[in-house]
Amino acid sequence: MPAEQPKLDLSTFLLSSIHDMKNSLGMMASYLEDALAQAPAEASGETSNTPARQKTAQALYEAQRVNNHLIQLLALYKIDQSFYPFDPREQSLADLAREALARALPLAESKGIQLDCDCPENLFGWFDYELVFGVIVQALHNALHYTRSKVFLKASASETGVVIQIEDDGPGFPEFLLEQGNAAQRGISFETGSTGLGLYFANVVASLHQAGGRAGHIVLENGHNPGSQPDSQLGGGCFSLHLP
Amino acid sequence: MSLLTLPPPDLSRYSILIIEDFEGMRAILRDILLRASATRISMAANAGNAISLLEKQRFDIVLCDLHLGQGKNGQDILEEARHRALLPPHAVWLMVSAEKAAEMVTGTVESRPDDYLIKPVTETMLFSRLTRQLEKKKALAPIELALREHEYLKALRLVDAQLEGNNPHAWDLKRLKAELALQSGEHDMAKAIYEEALTLRNLPWARLGLAKLHFNEGRYADASRELKQITDGNRAYLEAHDLLAHTLEKLGDQDAAQEVIQRALATSPRAPMRQLHLGEVAQRRGEFDTAQVAFQNSIELARNTPLKSPQAYLALSQVQLTLNQTDAALNTLSRLSSDMHGNTAARLLAEAMQIPVRLHRGEKDLAQSLARKLAAELKTGAQHLPPDAVFSLAAPLLELGETSTAAALLGSLISNHHEYPEYLQRAQLIYTQAGLENEGRELVQGAARVATDIMNRGVKLSREGKLGEAIELTREARAKMPNNARLLLNHAFLLIAWMERHGRDPALNKEARNCIELARKLKPEDKRAGELLTRLELISNDFELPA
Repeated sequence: MPAEQPKLDLSTFLLSSIHDMKNSLGMMASYLEDALAQAPAEASGETSNTPARQKTAQALYEAQRVNNHLIQLLALYKIDQSFYPFDPREQSLADLAREALARALPLAESKGIQLDCDCPENLFGWFDYELVFGVIVQALHNALHYTRSKVFLKASASETGVVIQIEDDGPGFPEFLLEQGNAAQRGISFETGSTGLGLYFANVVASLHQAGGRAGHIVLENGHNPGSQPDSQLGGGCFSLHLP
Repeated sequence: MSLLTLPPPDLSRYSILIIEDFEGMRAILRDILLRASATRISMAANAGNAISLLEKQRFDIVLCDLHLGQGKNGQDILEEARHRALLPPHAVWLMVSAEKAAEMVTGTVESRPDDYLIKPVTETMLFSRLTRQLEKKKALAPIELALREHEYLKALRLVDAQLEGNNPHAWDLKRLKAELALQSGEHDMAKAIYEEALTLRNLPWARLGLAKLHFNEGRYADASRELKQITDGNRAYLEAHDLLAHTLEKLGDQDAAQEVIQRALATSPRAPMRQLHLGEVAQRRGEFDTAQVAFQNSIELARNTPLKSPQAYLALSQVQLTLNQTDAALNTLSRLSSDMHGNTAARLLAEAMQIPVRLHRGEKDLAQSLARKLAAELKTGAQHLPPDAVFSLAAPLLELGETSTAAALLGSLISNHHEYPEYLQRAQLIYTQAGLENEGRELVQGAARVATDIMNRGVKLSREGKLGEAIELTREARAKMPNNARLLLNHAFLLIAWMERHGRDPALNKEARNCIELARKLKPEDKRAGELLTRLELISNDFELPA
C-alpha cells in the first residue's frame, strides 16, 4: 500500500516524536528505578541517603515528570480525537494508592519528606485506572515540590462515590490557582511558568467519570483557610479528586 | 509511616515467560521478578519463539509486550495460546504496552488479557497486579476448566457460587456470567446483567452486550441504536464498530456499513477479518478497487495466523475477474493453493475457480477440460465449497454443458440451506438465465422439499415417541446435507431426548456435541445451540443444579 507523494504533515511528526520521547523517558525511569532498588542491597544494611542516591532520585523524578506530561498530552489528544479507550472498572483504591505512592517515594526520600497514607484495603471505586493514576501521581509530585515536610494521601468513600485527597504542610496554593482551579479552560500562564497542563488534565479526567447523572470533579483548597471543606490535617494545599 | 506496602509476592514456585522484543526491557522485567524470588524465567524476543516455548511448557505467568515489531503482536499470541489451550487454567497473562490500546479493553473473555500494564512498568505495579491476578485466577481456575469443556451451565453455577460472598471482582464475574449466559442461550439472564450494569454507569461492554442480544434476536434497529451510542462517542471501541457494520448491512444501509468499517480500520488497520469485511461490503456496493485492496490486505495480514482462510482469496479472485484482470485472478488462485497447501478443499476451490476465469478469457477448451477433470471431485466435495464459489461456478458449468456437475453443486447448496429463500432465488436465476427454467425449478424446489420433508418426518416420529427411528432418519439425512444448521440441531435434539430417557451414552453424547458446535459455527445467532448444550450438559451432570 505505497503512498504516492508523501505530504509533510507536521502533526504526524509531533505525535510520533512525543511517543518516542515518552517511551525513551519511560525506559530511563525504569533504569533509574532499577538502580535505586539495587542500591540499598549493596549499602550493607545501612539505608543511607548518599548524595549519589539523592541525585539518582532527582533524575528519576525529572524523567517521570516529563514522561507523565507526555502521557497526559497523548491521552488528552486521544480524548479530544475521541479514540481514547476509556475503560472504567471497579478497582481497589489501595492498589492505586500503593502504585502512586511508590512512584513518589524515591523523591520524597531524597528530599527528606514524610509520605503518609490512609486508605482502607477494602475500598473500591469505578475508574479508568491509567487516567486517574496520572492525576494522582501528578498531584503527589506537586505536593512534594511545595511542601515543607509532609505529604498525605487519603482515599475514602463519599456519599456519591470516592474521594482521593492529597495534602501537604506547605504554604498552600496561590490565590490565582484557587480561583481558577475548577475552571477547565485555564490557559497557559506565562507569569508563573506553569503550563496548566496538570490541572487541565485533572479536570478532563474527572469530568469523564460519570454515573447517576453526576460527573467527577476536582477541588483545590488550602487547609489553613477557615471553613475548609476537606478535613485537612496538615494545613497546606489540599487537592481532591471526587469520583462518582 | 504507613505506605500500604505489600510484601513482594513469592514467585519461586511459578514458571514465568517474558515476551518482549527489546532486550533492555526484558532485562528490567527479569530483574524485578528476580527480586520476588522468581527462579524459572524464560524469555522470548518474538512471537515464533514465544509460541514454541508455550507449546513446550505450561507457564503460570506470561508478561507479554503488545507490540513486538514486525509480524504477530502480543494480542495474536494471546489468542493463539488460548485457542490452542497452551496455558494452564490458572495462568495469568499480563499485557505490557506503551499506551492503553483499544484491543485491551474490548473483546470476549477468550481474547482479553487478565490485566494490562502501561509502561514504565515499576516493581510496585508489577507486584501488586501479579498478586491480585494470581489470587483471582486461582479462584477462577475451575470456571476456566468448565469453559474449556464447553460446560457453560457448570461454569455459570461456579460463578454464582463466587458471587455469593462479598467478592472484590464482582463485576468481572458478572461480566463473565453474562458472556456465559449468552453462550448457553440464556438471553434473559445476560440481558438482566447488562441492564443492571447500565443503570450503574455508561459501560461500553454492557451496552455492546445488550446490542449483541438485540442483533441475535433480529432486532436490528435496537441493536443499531445501542451501538451508535458507543461508536458516536468514541472510535476506540472496535468491536462495537464491527457489529454496527453487520447491523447496518442487515438494515440494508450498505453505505453506512462501509463507512463504519473504514472508521474502525483507521483506528486499527491490522485486522484481517475487518479488512475482509470491508472488501465484502465494498464489493457489494460496486466499489471494486476498494474491495480489491481490502481483500489483498486481509490475505497479507492473515497469512501466518490461524485466521488464514480461503474466503479472502476467493473474493479477491472474483473482484479481479469483475475488473477484467484475469491474470491477477489466476495468480490469486494459485496463491490460494500454495498458501494453504495440504488443505484439499482449498486446492479443489483454487482449481475449480479457474473455470470461470478461463471462460472469461475465451479459453473455452481449457475451461472444458478443467471442468471434466474436476467433475467427480466437485460432485463428492460439493459440501466443502463456500456458497459464493458454488454460485459463481454454476453458470459457467451450465454454459459448458456440465449440467450434472452444476446440479450436484446447487443441489447440495440448497439442501444445506433450505431455509434461506435468497439462496433458492439465486439458484433459480442461474438456471433461468441459462434458458433452463424448468430444470432449475425441479432441482431447486426438489432439494428444498426433500430437506423440509425430512425435518417434518423427524418431528412427527419424535412426537409419536419413535425416537430411535427419528434418529436413524436425521442421521442418514445428515450424511447428505452435513451443513444444514437446522438439521444438525434437530438431530442433536433427538439424541439428547433419547439420552434423557435412556441415560447417557458417550458416543451419542459426542455426536450431539459435534452437531451443536457445527451448527453454532454455521448460525452463530441461533440460541437453540446454547440451549441444547445446556440440556446435554445436564444429562451427564456431576454437580448440583442451580435452583
